[in-house]
Formats: sequence, C-alpha cells, structure tokens
Amino acid sequence: MKLKSATKLPALLTVVEARPLTDLAEVKLSGCYISDLLSDVLANAQPGVLWVTIHIHRNVVSVASMKDITAVLFTCGRKPESAIIAEAAEKGIMLLSTPLTTYEAAGKLWKAGLR
Amino acid sequence: MSLAVPVEKKKAAARGGQQANGHKRFKNARTRLTGAARRPAVAAERTSKTETAQEPAMLAPAVEKTPNTAEKRQVSFAQMLVFELRVRDAMTSPPITATVTDSLRTIQHLMKAHRVSGVPILANDVLVGIVSIEDIINALDGGHINESVEQWMSRKIVTLRDHFSLVRAVAEFDRHGYGRFPVLDANNRLVGVITRGDITICLMHHLERRAEEAVAKEAALVATRAADEKAHRIVINTDVKSGDFESAGKLSQRMREVLRARGVVPDILRRAAIIAYEAETNIIIHSLGGRINTSIDAVKVRIKAVDRGPGIENVDLAMQEGWSTAGPLARELGFGAGMGLPNIKRCADEFTIQSELGGGTRLQAAVFLHKGDTRL
Repeated sequence: MKLKSATKLPALLTVVEARPLTDLAEVKLSGCYISDLLSDVLANAQPGVLWVTIHIHRNVVSVASMKDITAVLFTCGRKPESAIIAEAAEKGIMLLSTPLTTYEAAGKLWKAGLR
Repeated sequence: MSLAVPVEKKKAAARGGQQANGHKRFKNARTRLTGAARRPAVAAERTSKTETAQEPAMLAPAVEKTPNTAEKRQVSFAQMLVFELRVRDAMTSPPITATVTDSLRTIQHLMKAHRVSGVPILANDVLVGIVSIEDIINALDGGHINESVEQWMSRKIVTLRDHFSLVRAVAEFDRHGYGRFPVLDANNRLVGVITRGDITICLMHHLERRAEEAVAKEAALVATRAADEKAHRIVINTDVKSGDFESAGKLSQRMREVLRARGVVPDILRRAAIIAYEAETNIIIHSLGGRINTSIDAVKVRIKAVDRGPGIENVDLAMQEGWSTAGPLARELGFGAGMGLPNIKRCADEFTIQSELGGGTRLQAAVFLHKGDTRL
C-alpha cells in the first residue's frame, strides 16, 4: 500500500524535500532514471519515468519530451530559468527541484518504493 | 567615360569635323526622319556645353528614386540588367557600311534596303565618317545625290566601345543627343552600330528571358510540391549552426509534431526524433556547421545530415559507445556521452555514414513508419 502511493508524484515531493516548479498532476511514475548524459537518457530511459539530473539546460526538456518522460527532478537545489520551466509546462513535463544530492535523492526514492 | 572621351576628341580633331549620326530599324519612318533632322543641331549645341558632364549625375535620378518597394525592386532589376549588359550585347553587328568612293545614291539604296538611317563610312577598314538620312535629304535637295560620299559625309564621329555597359551607352545618348553610335572594339575596328531602340530591344529581350526562367522555375516548384503532396511528403530542412546549443531539439520537435499528427506509433516516432536530435547535436557539438534535410512520406522518415567538416578521423571509433571527442562546454551541458552515433544507428532502420578528415560528414538514416516495411 505504501509502495503504491509513493510512486505517485505529489506524494514523492515530501520524500525528497522537493519544490514543484510547474503544476503537478496526480500521476503514477513507471520508474526512475538517473543520468547526466543526454544521449544515455535518449538511449536507455523508459517512457513515464522520473528523471533525476543536475542539468538545468533546456536540452533536458527537449530530451525529456522526446522520451515521454513524465517528470524531471533537479538535484542540489538547482533550478532552470523561467523560460525553460515555461517550455516544460507547455510540453506537459513536470519539473521539481530538491536541495538533496542525486545520491541522497536516489536513496530516498528507492526506499519510498519508486523502483 | 574618361577613357573614351579623349580618344573621340583626338579623332574629331584629327579628322576635322561635323557631327556624327547613325542608323537603324525604327518602325516609324517619320520618327526616324524628324529624329535625324533635329538631333544634329541639338547634339552640336550640347556637345560644346556638356562635354565634361559625368555619368553619375545622369544616373542619379534613377538610383535615388525609391517611391515604394515594388517599384524599387523593378527599377533595381532593370538597372541590374543595364549594368550587366554590354554595348556588344545590344548593337547591330555586323554594321551596314559603305566606302568613301561610294556615291550618296548607293548609300540611299543601302538605307532603303536595310531599313537604316545612318551608314558608317570606311576607308581601308578604318571608320572615317558617317552619312545620315539627313545628309541624303540634303543631297536630293541640293542635287548632289550622285556625287561621292567623301565630300559630303560627316567627319566628326563619336563612338562607343563594345565593352561599355548599356548604362554608359544610355548616358552617352543623353549627353550627345545622337540617335546612334558606331561601335569600336579594342583594336579600333568598327564592329557595330547601336541605337536607343537596340538598347530597348535588348533589355526587353533579356527581361523576357528572365521572366520565362522565373515562370519555368515556378512551374518546377509547383510540380515538386504536387509530387510531395501526392506522396504525402513533408520536407523539413534546417541549417544547424556550430555551438548553437540553444536551438538543439527544434528540428526533432517539429518532426514529432508532424508524425504525431499522422498517427505514427510512439515507439517509431521516438526513434525518428532521437535520430534527428542526435544528428542535430552532433553538428552543433562537433562540426563547423551543416544542414539537416528530413522528409516524411507515407512509408518512411528520411534524415540526411551533412556538415562542412572537420570530418571524423576514425568512423569506427566514433561508432563505439562511450568514445567521444566533445569539448568541455558540450560535456558540461550533458553532451559528449559518446552515444550519439550508436544511438542513431540503434534507432534507424537504414543507416549510412561517410566522413573524411578535412572534409565533412554525411549521415543518412531512415525509419519506416509501419512495422514490416523495413525490408522495402
């Protein structure tokens, strides 16, 4: 029961102390992918996942959109420019930012049941 | 102008002179007559007054005239032709000529037979004078029509060079007021005669040709478009600039929109978009710039990426996952995983790459839109 609710987006916010940058919808994530290499994400990420990265460049939005990634979590408190946030919102990609490092965030997400 | 005038002056001085005149195919005989009759006087007057007038002053009104964009464009196109075309392109060549020993009666017959109103006179193949229709009228009037040309021809001749631009020729017509000029080549040989009418005809001929070319081009374009439409083909071509990370993804975005609108399944759509994106970022990261042509029809998506170099030193290495030559900026942005080309190859149903160091790289990939079509 705990596992199921924790794979839904708004619930995960508190787990990683994240702030939403775009409007969040109640969606179930199919999993998580962590990479800071765009081509790696293009090659290996599955649709519908949460992508955890430190990159805040607009190419992150392009790649996420291309792979139908549901949400992107920026770590280490990083936040993209507002124009990039707007672009993501327009493409239906949710953005979040956490003060945690990628490693810490990954550990907590895993523990919360996002597999 | 500075080149020719001294020559003309010298020639006129050496041969002593009257005024020059010319000839040619005006359809209206009356115009020809009145024109020929009036001009010499005007010409003599003007010649003395405006000997040093410069071309730019004469051209200025046309150049400065900018009433609206449409007219401006027309003016500049006609001007372009006037600058492009040479006197030799418009002149009548070879010219109808006579020699100093011919009679004025012979000239009269020449004018009638060839419908010209001025005949250059040669002595040993050198231009020495010109007989205009006015001289013939005077001869008929004065009763010396059967006498030799030599004592009645006009000896003061203004000539043009065959390499002069038509704009220069027009300026000379304005400047001297003559109806026609004999044309000399670089060796001072008479090679033709030019009138204002010749210039008009030449310009109209060229305008017509350009118009025909434009129509043919338009028709070809329409045909291509019709063929594209028939094949449900959409072509998206984009120039890709080196280092332009901000624009990365625009092409694949547009491609995805088209494919989604056509109901292409997500997996195929994604593969096509990844190829376009990786090809785009490859040009941005590694090349001096290039172009991506994509075409989407009912059967497949074709992506052709061609850049201007510097080329890949070792294509086999570049095809290996993890091998990258991306610079620090690209890496900082998350590029340079060394997975671009392998990703493209993995996503493509057809894939070729050619590259040579110092040249450019040419990558072609295709994705079939319907499963099972891959062997087409």
